[in-house]
Amino acid sequence: MSGPPPIEVRGLRKVFRQTTTGQSVVAIDRLDLAIAPHEVVAIVGQTGCGKSTFFDLMIGLEAPSEGTIHIGDKSPHGDFDFFRGKIATVFQQDRLLPWRSALDNARLPLELIGLPETKQRERATTWLNRLGLGNFTSAYPHELSGGMRQRVAIARAFAVEPDILLADEAFGHLDEVTAAELRNTFLELARECGSTAILITHQLEEAISVGDRIVVFGKSARLLADIHVKQWDKSSYTLLREAIQSTLQNNQADPRLAQRQ
Amino acid sequence: MTNELRESVPVLTFPRQTLVSLLVFAVAWEALSHLAPYLGIPPFAIPSFVRIARSVATITPIDIAVTLARVIAALFISFVLGLALAMAMYRSDSLDKYLHPMIRLLMAVPVVSWILFAVLWFPGVEFRICFVLVVVCGPVFLVDTLDAMRGVPRELRQMMQSFRPTTWQYFFKLMLPAIVPTIFTSWKVNISLAIRVVTIAELVGAVTGIGHQLSVAQELFSVADVFAWTLVLVALLFLLEAMVARVEARVLRWRT
Repeated sequence: MSGPPPIEVRGLRKVFRQTTTGQSVVAIDRLDLAIAPHEVVAIVGQTGCGKSTFFDLMIGLEAPSEGTIHIGDKSPHGDFDFFRGKIATVFQQDRLLPWRSALDNARLPLELIGLPETKQRERATTWLNRLGLGNFTSAYPHELSGGMRQRVAIARAFAVEPDILLADEAFGHLDEVTAAELRNTFLELARECGSTAILITHQLEEAISVGDRIVVFGKSARLLADIHVKQWDKSSYTLLREAIQSTLQNNQADPRLAQRQ
Repeated sequence: MTNELRESVPVLTFPRQTLVSLLVFAVAWEALSHLAPYLGIPPFAIPSFVRIARSVATITPIDIAVTLARVIAALFISFVLGLALAMAMYRSDSLDKYLHPMIRLLMAVPVVSWILFAVLWFPGVEFRICFVLVVVCGPVFLVDTLDAMRGVPRELRQMMQSFRPTTWQYFFKLMLPAIVPTIFTSWKVNISLAIRVVTIAELVGAVTGIGHQLSVAQELFSVADVFAWTLVLVALLFLLEAMVARVEARVLRWRT
């Protein structure tokens, strides 16, 4: 198995035209970013900084206005079908199909890649078991708690054993205990699968506890800081947190971050 | 049958209030039928239940079967055409812009006009009836389906697209299951519509069917026969609706 390819973002720009006013809004302005295989990258930024637009561009649902995103030598938008079964997503809400049981939701991406049904069931059941939902495979989403539904969504993402995992505020709506538990499970499974994971979050604690790297976006996804968390020992996490917070507030890299880069 | 399934299957029940109102109506009708000669009303205008029962006994099952076959066939054709066009219009904005005014126009034309057009345009009776039913029911299926497709939450569409389905997978695994509840509602509306429209369509030119029998009853001034055939139509409507409701409960049991 060759493992996930590197991700290279060059001069990425995304401009939207507002339908009501006709004005152009620059959501992402010339972003350069490289992500190595197997890396877990947390992207933090304030609301409206272009994080979710970046997420949509990474999935391939939107085309860049300028610049490129390459995963290996392919573009997630231009070579959309190539990435079937290779990119998986976990969204803020679980986004489960209400007419499907937990098992059927978890095996949805496997159906799309054309895996035989018995294998789909086998693999989806394995992932549901790993996420502690072995007794709830036939339950419908409305019969499950918020945390359980998000577990199904995570099982659905991991079921295809993707090269790239994208998570957009995936744990933000859960209570802190459930969120912490799910974050750890997510990280553990991502490492086990050998996937490259990109997590978009506005919670600094989450970014610090999960990411190998923390990328801080300013307005229009301007890269304010690119932090390698390993360069910080656990005792200085409070300092790191304060430095990121100050970076976000002042829309420029805090000097304490620059010293370690 | 499990308790859950038994609960989800709709059962035709008559609450006490319904029974009382039906009974009051029946008693009033029966009394009026006996009093009619004294009130200056012709005796044939309000037949007694004994007379109506005699008419019910003469009902020919073949006419019921013919009308039922016409309704079911036309509803299936309408549904397939409506669904196919809704899918095409959902996928193509320009097709939607061209077809939408036409659909609105079709829906504004009165049923009687369609029947007259059908009589003038088509020589075959069966084709005429089918045409009228399809042109009346088809747009209802189309509009309902299209609205339902547009109502599928953006979050679910984005989730599905993120897994990169083919066009068919996207339709069969997301859109179709998501619009099933609306499709059932549309079927129930259209069954009622089709039962009423087929009767009018059969009045013109048909030599079989309930509409034709109603026309014969009218020529014979037989209110009892009209009453009997009307009862059959109502029973037919309830039967078809109950069948659809039963399938609906089974298909949508995940909602319970």
